Amino acid sequence: MDNSELQPILDFMRELAPFDSLHEQTIKQCCQTLTIAYYSQQQKFVHVDSNEAQLYIVRSGAFEVVTKEGELIDRVGEGQYFGFSGMLSGEQVINQVRILEDGLVYHLSAKMFDQLRANSYSFDRFFNQAFAKRLRNQGSIKNNHISTARITSIMSRELAATTYDASIFQATQLMSKKRVSSLVIMKQEKLCGILTDRDLRDRVLAKGFNGDIAVEKVMTKNPATIEPDALVFEAMLKMSELNIHHLPVMCEGKPIAMLTSTDLIRSQSSQPILLIGQIERQNNLEELIQVSQKIPDLLYNLIASDAKAIEIGRILTSVTDSLTRSLIALKQKQLGPAPMKFCWLAFGSQGRQDQMAGSDQDNALILEKETNEQEKRYFKQLSEYVCSALNECGFPFCPGNIMAQNPQWQLSLQQWQQQFSKWVSTPNPKALLNAAIFFDMRPIYGEKSLFDSLQTSVLTITKNNDIFIAAMTKNALQSTPPLGFFRSFVIERDGTEVKGIDLKHKGNALINDIVRIYSLSAGITEVNTSKRLESLIAKQKIDKEVAMSLLDAWEFIAHKRLTNQGLQFNNTQPVSNYILPDNLSSLIRHQLKDAFKVIHEAQGTIRLKFLGQF
Amino acid sequence: MLQQWWLQHKLKKLIKNCQLESVRLHYQYLLAQLNKPILKTNLLALDIEMTGLEPKKDQIVSIGIIPIIDSQIRPKFAQYKLIKIQGSVGQSATIHGILDKDLTNALTIEEALLWLFEQCQDKVLVAHHAPLDLQFLQQALLTTQQRPHALFAIDTLNIDKQRQQRKQQVLKTGSLRLNACRERYNLPIYNAHNALTDALACAELLLAQLSKIGKLEEITVGQLLNKY
Repeated sequence: MDNSELQPILDFMRELAPFDSLHEQTIKQCCQTLTIAYYSQQQKFVHVDSNEAQLYIVRSGAFEVVTKEGELIDRVGEGQYFGFSGMLSGEQVINQVRILEDGLVYHLSAKMFDQLRANSYSFDRFFNQAFAKRLRNQGSIKNNHISTARITSIMSRELAATTYDASIFQATQLMSKKRVSSLVIMKQEKLCGILTDRDLRDRVLAKGFNGDIAVEKVMTKNPATIEPDALVFEAMLKMSELNIHHLPVMCEGKPIAMLTSTDLIRSQSSQPILLIGQIERQNNLEELIQVSQKIPDLLYNLIASDAKAIEIGRILTSVTDSLTRSLIALKQKQLGPAPMKFCWLAFGSQGRQDQMAGSDQDNALILEKETNEQEKRYFKQLSEYVCSALNECGFPFCPGNIMAQNPQWQLSLQQWQQQFSKWVSTPNPKALLNAAIFFDMRPIYGEKSLFDSLQTSVLTITKNNDIFIAAMTKNALQSTPPLGFFRSFVIERDGTEVKGIDLKHKGNALINDIVRIYSLSAGITEVNTSKRLESLIAKQKIDKEVAMSLLDAWEFIAHKRLTNQGLQFNNTQPVSNYILPDNLSSLIRHQLKDAFKVIHEAQGTIRLKFLGQF
Repeated sequence: MLQQWWLQHKLKKLIKNCQLESVRLHYQYLLAQLNKPILKTNLLALDIEMTGLEPKKDQIVSIGIIPIIDSQIRPKFAQYKLIKIQGSVGQSATIHGILDKDLTNALTIEEALLWLFEQCQDKVLVAHHAPLDLQFLQQALLTTQQRPHALFAIDTLNIDKQRQQRKQQVLKTGSLRLNACRERYNLPIYNAHNALTDALACAELLLAQLSKIGKLEEITVGQLLNKY
């Protein structure tokens, strides 16, 4: 053909994802093989010939894909597609396509469609319903921020170890031979302690022992440890908080490396660490409030550096944790030590370690025992101070009053156990609402054993508790993800069109709910959604593919939420979880729709699994 | 019915007297299709760009065609030709964007006519505001063949005009222009005045118009065809 390109078709296809990712020559080839038809409402339905499958590309007009039973599958307008699911699965399509508005449609033959899929990975990825596969290879989610590097990337591979009954002489010989500043001490194949240069100085030389003494007598017993997939940032935090320089890295209960502060020097000067360092150094509230004003900047720098949403959540939560601890310590300096053991708990997003912009505070206190008037006063003063200070630092009061300053949530361990047991045994709507917040709990400060006892008893009553789990499931299914996008609107599953979407409540929260149900049913102690999923996979309590898809969907939605917040921040608009379809490219719309689909399917799975309903 | 009978009569006469093989085959196809439903007929949407609007004075500079087969437009068989002219495109270049230098390797008008009627041997012509395009073709045939030729086409402008008159709407100036018509059918707006784009625009408009006509299966080619 000489100079006979059909410019309007070419112009349209060039801009259209995923065709926009193809070579110019391929797009031209596509344009030539298309056929064009016009569908008017008078015809009511598009006659889809299942023997001659093709991709329908909507050029104008509006169409609705409906199952034989009348359930809405999709509503498509300009630049959207239908008819491809059959070509992907090879199954006969029995869906109907209703014509809502007259319009022009391009047809792309199955042969061409298959050819494009075979020759272009990005084209195939766009249409392939194997969502997990698609998002996992997303180029846009990079992992290059210094704070989000993992321990495995910086720890030394060689582990210097000796046994508990070796002599100090033997141990020091080994240290000098291996040129290390510490040893891992093993007892019956298990880690029982570490021996460091400092131990040799403080506990051997300073005490006048000689080299014959057994390592066991002078080592640091039960040292703090860290997991290999922890963030470098988390290791820094741990060392800084505990004022130590060595952390054995534990994998499946066995030490695999020793992480030292020297290992971390390389990644020093990273912004979050500086911020936390500053928080720890402040001696009064005014200074803490001032330092906290830098938290939004930290968040937007992390967003700008395109860190993974999951890691941004962990970093931000670490800052909040550190701020909370500093505030408690600050007040205790004034009030004196607590009259009994207690544990400061975080719930909700802080509990799950997925805080983002504008998260409010959800916290509470576990006390060793019930309080008398005097003790009550102590905790009242402490908690009111910390909660108000957090509020002033940018973590607003919880609208539902789930806060440590509320006497209702200053309970003894026993009272907490009774409270949870009441929620679990009589799961009324209020209890279930609470469950979503309270079951994602994490100790922040104080006596961890109080928390451990509470968590153990809670999981004992939820594990395999069919009635409670069914009630939780029913509750979680009351909110559904949207179906997708249509022009400037978001489409709900019942076909109604709404202006925008709350990506938190209609996205991430739904995934958190699903994963929480699985976890409580399986008695899993983790509370972070991704860690829960990992644990569920390890215990074979969830299909691995489903879990990976949920994880990817979570990350994708959260990432969109964060980028949207970054945009709002840059435009000095109020920061929210609300997103308008107009600001989304067709590719993002398509991917978000797939993420919603993953949630929808997972909801179907829990309905079947925990409610026994289809 | 009367129109159909009259067309039939005209075509039979024309076939008898036609000297040009490709045009005669085109007439024969039209005759055979007159009573056939429009949906089963091969159509060829056509648009022509000229140096001006007067067939006797102005010349054809480009022709775009795109077929409609089984009620679907086939971009694969779309074609576009530039045609050599006597003199310069002059001011008309501002409309169609074709410059004198673009026409160096263009077809002569004889070659172009031969090519065009080759293409429509088994197709019915469709154009928006068909009288203008066909008058230019007829003038070119007259100049090159020294004989007048009747031509037939479906006119998308005429279809919309009748539609609006039936609805007793007052026709506003410009309301029958190609893009104005397209807008009424929810069709995208294209940049006008490229022969191929306009042929595509016309083809899409026809499909839209047809889909609006009730009992489409009963509509025959003869009912829509006009003689020029």
